[in-house]
Amino acid sequence: MNTTAKDTKSLDNPGTPLITGNQSFHSVTEKISGIVEAKVSPYWYLAITISSLLALVFFGSIGYLVWEGIGIWGVNVPVGWGFAIINFVFWVGIGHAGTLISAILFLMRQRWRTSINRFAEAMTLFAITCALIFPGIHVGRIWAAYWMFPVPNQMGMWPNFRSPLLWDVFAVSTYFTASLLFWYTGLIPDFATLRDRAKTKWKRLIMGILALGWRGGNRQWKHYELAYLILAGISTPLVLSVHSVVSTDFAVSLVPGWHTTIFPPYFVAGAIFSGFAMVMTLGILARKIFGLEDFITVNHLDKMSKIMLVTGMMVGYAYMMEFFIAWYSGNEYELFTFLNRAFGPYAWAYWTMITCNVLVPQLFWFKKVRNSIGALFVISILINIGMWFERFVIVVTSLSRDFLPANWDYYSPTFWDIATFVGSFGLFLTLFLLFVRFVPIISMAEVKGVLPQADPHHTAKEQAKG
Amino acid sequence: MMRYDEGTYRITEPGSFGTRSLIVGIAGLAVSAIGYFLNPAQFFHSYLNAFIFWFNIAMGSLFFVMLHHLVAARWSVTLRRLAENVMMQTPLMLLFFLPLLLGLHDLFHWTHHEAVEADLILQKKAPYLNITFFVVRAAVFFGVWNAVSVLLFKASLKQDLNPEEAITKRMRVISAFGIIAYAFTFSFASFDWLMSLDAHWYSTIFGVYIFSGSLVAIISFLVIVLFFMRRQGILRNMTTTEHFHDLGKLLFAFTVFWAYIAFSQYFLIWYANIPEETIWFRNRWVGSWKGVSLLLVMGHFVLPFFILITRSAKRKAVFLTVMAFWMLFMRWVDLYWVIMPGLQEQGFNLSWFDLTAFIGIGGIFVWSLLKRIAAHPLIPVKDPQLKASVEFISE
Repeated sequence: MNTTAKDTKSLDNPGTPLITGNQSFHSVTEKISGIVEAKVSPYWYLAITISSLLALVFFGSIGYLVWEGIGIWGVNVPVGWGFAIINFVFWVGIGHAGTLISAILFLMRQRWRTSINRFAEAMTLFAITCALIFPGIHVGRIWAAYWMFPVPNQMGMWPNFRSPLLWDVFAVSTYFTASLLFWYTGLIPDFATLRDRAKTKWKRLIMGILALGWRGGNRQWKHYELAYLILAGISTPLVLSVHSVVSTDFAVSLVPGWHTTIFPPYFVAGAIFSGFAMVMTLGILARKIFGLEDFITVNHLDKMSKIMLVTGMMVGYAYMMEFFIAWYSGNEYELFTFLNRAFGPYAWAYWTMITCNVLVPQLFWFKKVRNSIGALFVISILINIGMWFERFVIVVTSLSRDFLPANWDYYSPTFWDIATFVGSFGLFLTLFLLFVRFVPIISMAEVKGVLPQADPHHTAKEQAKG
Repeated sequence: MMRYDEGTYRITEPGSFGTRSLIVGIAGLAVSAIGYFLNPAQFFHSYLNAFIFWFNIAMGSLFFVMLHHLVAARWSVTLRRLAENVMMQTPLMLLFFLPLLLGLHDLFHWTHHEAVEADLILQKKAPYLNITFFVVRAAVFFGVWNAVSVLLFKASLKQDLNPEEAITKRMRVISAFGIIAYAFTFSFASFDWLMSLDAHWYSTIFGVYIFSGSLVAIISFLVIVLFFMRRQGILRNMTTTEHFHDLGKLLFAFTVFWAYIAFSQYFLIWYANIPEETIWFRNRWVGSWKGVSLLLVMGHFVLPFFILITRSAKRKAVFLTVMAFWMLFMRWVDLYWVIMPGLQEQGFNLSWFDLTAFIGIGGIFVWSLLKRIAAHPLIPVKDPQLKASVEFISE
């Protein structure tokens, strides 16, 4: 983009090229377009069969839920928010990395983002799709879900504008819309490439429509880069606002363990943490399966590990501060809640969270770990497990032992809770597999911009040498 | 008038500004000392306010330097030594901290035995909020900050002689451990020195709140120092408009960050409406404090947001410097707003000591800073990325 050419020399350490394998513009196009143009591999069919079966489990569970009612889940008094809300927050969190990578890292001139932004953004969109389904089905009467929106009606009934649950509807849907536009804007030059390479009429037509008449002229690029910059600027506050709003679902309440002022930045840090973990998991798979080792290099994985190390420690800081202030406040309910988290009936969940989110990421201090694909793959999955448990700990422990001991209960999920959760991965993976099949998973136009050849001085320099 | 050698990047003639600052500083402290006898409660609150203001600049600088090393920043290499010089004022801040120990009774309600005995909550907090532990903690905090600052500065001077990669790496390692220690020490220092002024009140985000303000303070301070240096012809060959532009971006970003944190704290407490928490904001909404609260919203966020978002505001050095002065003023107001309502419950009442303590500590701070600036080259002369920093273009 506009950060591409000029600073190739001065801002990147010449010792560590972003893209390896001595690529040329042509080889980049060949490699990345090749993935979508190649004959479909039987493994892809196998993978999408499994994932769509899982997605069927998801929709089947939802179908049964609509038929039978929320009673099929484990939620009851006092834990009225169970898996559905945990999964919602979990998926929204995953959805944070994509736009962070594409918008915030763009504004910060982090050019290594070009190799991972496309599929990270796609991942964001699919994660948000999964996330949005959960509150929708959690309302019970799913046919009335549209009441979440302020739709004028003859009864004069409106959602409560003071409720963070309503803000969620706006925040998440705005985020989805902005992310989608941002993703699509980035895709336009690549669609044009696919259009120009298309061998069939239909493909040329479809790609041509998607490319919006892109010709790659000078003026088009100028407008395009400005639009991209503005979209990045608009998306940046959204990255922070969405999870802050999600955190207010909890933090504006009076429930001990929920009501604490550090929640907004703590949730945002956690979301970035889990989002990067998912980008890592998918990135490692993608580079292995499609042979993208030159594009998603160990250098990229190394940088992502560092971000996870930082955000993991931010989350650890928040855990510690919450615990300290619970004691420092002198408020017995606060203190009880946190002692109960760490040593009560859900201690197993709490320590799973601490282990996966705080202890395991400390391995990222070692370069050996940051450069070991196997270790990164395992750790990234552990982090996502940990972040799921973080939401479990927050949602369940505080509710299961509320102010009235007579109400206390131990929440356990039912078969349908688990089926819905596992099934949501089916939907997520199915969408991701379709994306991998039909859309270039790495942004060709942007990767070309970070190649040494994109530097205007490149040829002159080479000639002077020769 | 300061003079500067463009070849060695050293100050050849320090000029008289430092001495004048010292005189102003001593005069300010002397007048403030009268306050100690006239009105100790007011004196210590004013002094604490001034202390935290300058302390936050030093601390922000420590963070800036560590962040610079950790992200291997290039644009800020020419500014690194300036920030390091500010960071090295931490030992001075320890000196300025000591008088506060005389005023613990005037500042902190929890130091009064009879108050604690009559108060169940303070009794629960006594294992943390007691004078011995308070002093021990302060000693540990300053120990950590001084150690990290000195280690980083020494390594940096070593790099001036010998640009080995090992030194760059060493600074990065120090910063990695330093920044973790910093997160905890800075948060607990904020709890101890500011939050415990109202011993009942608590907020998990409070440490981050003060930290976000110190980021605004250090960037503003760097802008001002750089501007006046350049006016004297210093560093003109090593810094460009691009550096102002990037500092301006950071000033904008940190201002927004401060607002985000401040809003998170306010909003969640307002919404939940639990009396033991809302009291803190209620005390800042009484009488003329209401005006200060609104001034913070407008002056510390709305105004700088709309001004600094523009490109030209960040690239015009004069303009950015004016904004930096304004933001430093807002930093002072913010700390005043945090500290004073405990003393002046019905509305704010500016005191002469607010000014004298401010220029007292500030004058000596500036003198000590200028002395350090004159003692070493003004940029890390052998940093491998120096050239990249001078040539970089902010986009």
